[in-house]
Amino acid sequence: MEAQIIDLDLTRLALGYSLILLTVGLSRLRGIGQEREILWASVRMVLQLLALGYVLHLIFAIDHPLPVLLILLVMTGFSIQVMAGRVKEKMPAFYRVVSTAIFAGCGGVTFFFVLLVVGPDPWYDPRYLIPLAGMIIGNSMNGASLAAERLSAEMRERREEIEAALCLGASSRQASRTAVSSAFRAALIPTTNTMAAMGLVSLPGMMTGQILSGTDPVTAVKYQIAIMFAITGSVGVTAFLILLQGCRRYFTPAHQLRASAPSPR
Amino acid sequence: MTTLRLEAVRKSRPGNGGPPVEILRGVSLTAQGGALTVIIGPSGGGKSTLMRLLNRLEDPDGGEILLGGRNILEFDPLELRRRVGMAPQKPFMFPGSVLANLQLPFRLRGEATPGGAEPAIVHALELCRLPADLLPRDARTLSLGQQQRVSLARALVAGPELLLLDEPTSALDRPPGDRLADTLHDISRSRQLTIVMMTHDLRLAERVADHLAYLEDGRILEEGVAADLLNRPRSAGLRRFLDQPMETQG
Repeated sequence: MEAQIIDLDLTRLALGYSLILLTVGLSRLRGIGQEREILWASVRMVLQLLALGYVLHLIFAIDHPLPVLLILLVMTGFSIQVMAGRVKEKMPAFYRVVSTAIFAGCGGVTFFFVLLVVGPDPWYDPRYLIPLAGMIIGNSMNGASLAAERLSAEMRERREEIEAALCLGASSRQASRTAVSSAFRAALIPTTNTMAAMGLVSLPGMMTGQILSGTDPVTAVKYQIAIMFAITGSVGVTAFLILLQGCRRYFTPAHQLRASAPSPR
Repeated sequence: MTTLRLEAVRKSRPGNGGPPVEILRGVSLTAQGGALTVIIGPSGGGKSTLMRLLNRLEDPDGGEILLGGRNILEFDPLELRRRVGMAPQKPFMFPGSVLANLQLPFRLRGEATPGGAEPAIVHALELCRLPADLLPRDARTLSLGQQQRVSLARALVAGPELLLLDEPTSALDRPPGDRLADTLHDISRSRQLTIVMMTHDLRLAERVADHLAYLEDGRILEEGVAADLLNRPRSAGLRRFLDQPMETQG
């Protein structure tokens, strides 16, 4: 039996918004000066989600792969832009490295997951492809940001170590192995922790949403498990590609650490 | 014995928003095979940059560096760095024991790693006057002086043709006295190695140099026998440099 979901009308949403105002009030009380940011972020979120809702409504009605793929492209573009804003210390050729990695990593995992694991009919069914891709891209973006940020920091901090290894005859790959491993570990930790805590500490958003919309909890759990597999895979592949390509950019073909590589502060 | 020859070597670095700054302005120098060539000069004169060009941590903008008559740009860079050992100014100890540090050059080349008792390691230890009981010690817990010696032994252990030493005494709190000079003598004689050393330690330079060169403002202003240069400097630059107190020379 599927329960009818309660529709949230404007009054209920406005009541919910009081929680944002409460936070703004607390911010003001403590004098942390974040009120404007919180309000702006909440307005942005509301507008963005409303716009997305209408776009999705339209795309569902069109029932053609092109708009679905286009929206995935836009999502990917935004994720790269968000990453660029988040990563303060950028590796050489940042945009090229990150774009390739996100397209190949997230794209590859999304299509593998949606087409082979979930298998909707038609294959581009926006009800599946868009939200699943969104979750995969969104989470991968976090892992990718961590990988990119950490790689720059490692290459800066370990400059002496890397050059010491190069002096001993190490290739650029050998010399930067520790830096890359450390960045890869950092990129994977949040996803690993999320997986370990899931169901005990946190109730995942997708599962909650499905249950609220009346889906059988067991089906919702199975989706949640599968999406976590996909997210982990995508974070792993995207971060790996960023590190693989990014690391190369710090060196010349003659295994020299580029002069433009950041020096220890 | 491999001779190193530098011919009109030039190197610039990007200026701070302005035009590139010339660090080396046509350095020509010959380090004879089996001899110990020492380059002295004020800091900022281009010594460290020059050192980095010799094992291709960087490439020159102009001129040639010839190792055994062959331009170093023609070597595979990894192969070159195996022929040219370098002990950098600040000794860097990789995590692990002293033995692991000495085995590293072999591991990086995918060669069988010699054990602590094997001739390559034993000989490097002896030359650098390091006791064998140091081998199992965590390299990062050693004193700076010991680390300097491990760094030297690590550069030597795989049998380079040319050894580069960048300010081997600069990281030490106290002058190493005659021990380092004796060590360098031993290395030079026993291995018939070509050694190029940059230093601000004039006493060390005088004791060990077969050939001494004075580098200032990216140019070799004088070169010759150490005692001659240090006792009868011809250029105003070297005279000024020698007149400065020791601690400000580096």
